[in-house]
Amino acid sequence: MELVLANHSSYPRVGASREQQRLRRAYAQRERGEISADDFNRVQDSVVAEVVEEQAHAGCELLTDGQIRWVDSISHLAGRLDQVEINGLLRYFDTNFYFRQPVIKGRVAGNGPLVVEEFRYARAVSPRPIKPILTGPYTLAVSSIRETPLYRDLPTLVLDLSEVLAQEVRALAGAGAEVIQVEEPAILKHPKDLRLLHKALKPLSQAKGSSQLALYTYFADATPLYESLQELPVDILGLDFTYAPRLPETIARLGSRKTLGLGLIDGRNTRMEAAPQVFPILEKILPRLSGGIAYLNPSCGLEYLPRDKAVAKLRLMKELRDTFLQRGKR
Amino acid sequence: MSRAKLEKLGLTLPLLPTSTVGSFPKPDYLLQARARFARKEITQKELEVLEKRATEFWVQQQEEIGLDVLVDGEQYRGDMVAYFADVMPGFRMGGLVRSYGNRYYHKPIIVGEIRWPGPMTVKWWRFAQGLTSKPIKGMLTGPYTIMDWSFNDYYPDRKSACLALARVIRKEVEALVEAGAKVIQIDEPALSVRPEELPFAIEAMQMVTDGVPAYFITHICYGAFEFIYPRMLRFPVHNFDLEMSNSGLDLIGLFKKHPFNKDLSFGVLDVHSHKIESPALIKERIAKALQVIPKEALWVDPDCGLKTRTVEEAQGKLRSMVAAVKEIRQALDKAPKRKRRRIEVGSVVKKRRKKIRKHKYKKMRRRMRHKKK
Ligand SMILES: [Zn+2]
Repeated sequence: MELVLANHSSYPRVGASREQQRLRRAYAQRERGEISADDFNRVQDSVVAEVVEEQAHAGCELLTDGQIRWVDSISHLAGRLDQVEINGLLRYFDTNFYFRQPVIKGRVAGNGPLVVEEFRYARAVSPRPIKPILTGPYTLAVSSIRETPLYRDLPTLVLDLSEVLAQEVRALAGAGAEVIQVEEPAILKHPKDLRLLHKALKPLSQAKGSSQLALYTYFADATPLYESLQELPVDILGLDFTYAPRLPETIARLGSRKTLGLGLIDGRNTRMEAAPQVFPILEKILPRLSGGIAYLNPSCGLEYLPRDKAVAKLRLMKELRDTFLQRGKR
Repeated sequence: MSRAKLEKLGLTLPLLPTSTVGSFPKPDYLLQARARFARKEITQKELEVLEKRATEFWVQQQEEIGLDVLVDGEQYRGDMVAYFADVMPGFRMGGLVRSYGNRYYHKPIIVGEIRWPGPMTVKWWRFAQGLTSKPIKGMLTGPYTIMDWSFNDYYPDRKSACLALARVIRKEVEALVEAGAKVIQIDEPALSVRPEELPFAIEAMQMVTDGVPAYFITHICYGAFEFIYPRMLRFPVHNFDLEMSNSGLDLIGLFKKHPFNKDLSFGVLDVHSHKIESPALIKERIAKALQVIPKEALWVDPDCGLKTRTVEEAQGKLRSMVAAVKEIRQALDKAPKRKRRRIEVGSVVKKRRKKIRKHKYKKMRRRMRHKKK
């Protein structure tokens, strides 16, 4: 079994040093009109290159652009669509992070590519493959205020967003993304909408071409939904183990037809995982997986950690993986 | 409902007691001084002189505006978790984490056994209480919120970190009571974040308040109350202070389904809006609350701390609030009752206070007599 080290999605955009805080300063300068949009983009570019390099240096094998350009995982995408305005702050699940809530004023429509250019840039500066991230249609829809009567029913909005995101998946696949990650943390809170999610993922699945489509859930226990998640039209399932004490046992019992993204490294806490916590789970799960490959990744985006801890987690992931595989060979 | 508890503690409050959630805006001179202190240009002593001046200002303001239960205004505090984490052994300040947009904060990390460093808030409570004859609330952050807003490298899980914090906060509560505090507010804004953890959040608060002779208030804001109501009623405090006006008064609907059985501090001022609410609007909001909460159980205050507003906005909003409450009190007083009871304005104050306080007390009694005329 090949165990690939993958980053999850986001990455801290500032660190402890003055140099590592240049994006924070540039953002403030841009807001005050002291620097141009081009100046600001150059700083963003340099920070993307820096965090890509940092992930690679820590031993990561499938990287992300750290979502450095995203204000948050909801408004970055929703804000680029027609008929969407961005409103006040709302807590993002159970974190201490707040996102700007979209207000849907009319029929949503794409307005050109969303993140393809971001993907192209990250890939150009990266020594390893880059995995683009999209927030899924369901999570985008339930995070929004539906002001237009067109979307009195949630499913209509979910399916319209799905069409928009399918175009993006097609563009990303065309640009050469090997894995495209769609994030749907909200589905764990609303299991009754799984059929709706199934329907909404279909257009994305049809658009993926030769790319692998990954569905990542987090911030709640996926164990009760595990069997239903296996039915969804995706290639990879990403799971957050930090909320799910019974998940290893469930996977060991039921196996997996899909490639799994094992979120065994806590992206929300600074404590460093130790081998006795992680190895027994890997031993239990890995023999039950098909396809010969699994991803080891943090449980969620790493932006909830300070920069020094985020990079330490990635290094730890490599150390644990290498020790685990060595042990197997003995 | 908890009127008896208050009276047992020697506190006679008027109907619809008015209070605030805790923080007031810092005057410009203090903001500048804090920045200079951070750059090590002035000493802790020099900063403290200004913090005291600002505290005096706000206590005097609250008296003048006519609030019933006062706060020290937290002129010496920054973040409500970092303030405690900074002084408690077991914590280390972590690196920067983003909270939204371009905003970042230092998130504390629990790196060892959390211990009580001795009184953390008592000195300021004493200072503020020395300035007024009205009760000053002791102001603490609850164990669940301190746990949730910190990283944990030391305790095996979130629950054990939370309970360890409860033991420490309990000591602080006892120290406040020993100093004379009768009303203690322990804020738990994180309470509704993980509904499945409510049982141990309740257990922790039980450890903090059990058997302590004080009236306890817990402030919660931006909560998804629909997930923890009515279970949250088991939280062992006398009074819940909830943000009501910013959340469109949604909670009233919940209370209609399942009665709220504690005292309620009802937030009537939106702290995120520059606009000063009119007394008429505030009266409307209070009237809605009175549909579901008995008048004896209702307190009135802003949605949250006023520190995000300007000094003038905070003053204006509070004046409006007190004016509205006075009108409602008069109306309630005029309403026909089976047994007419006197509503006392102000609070009963412990005798044997310093001369200066005795003098202020007399002044207050005079004012009260004047009002009764
Ligand atoms: Zn609040």
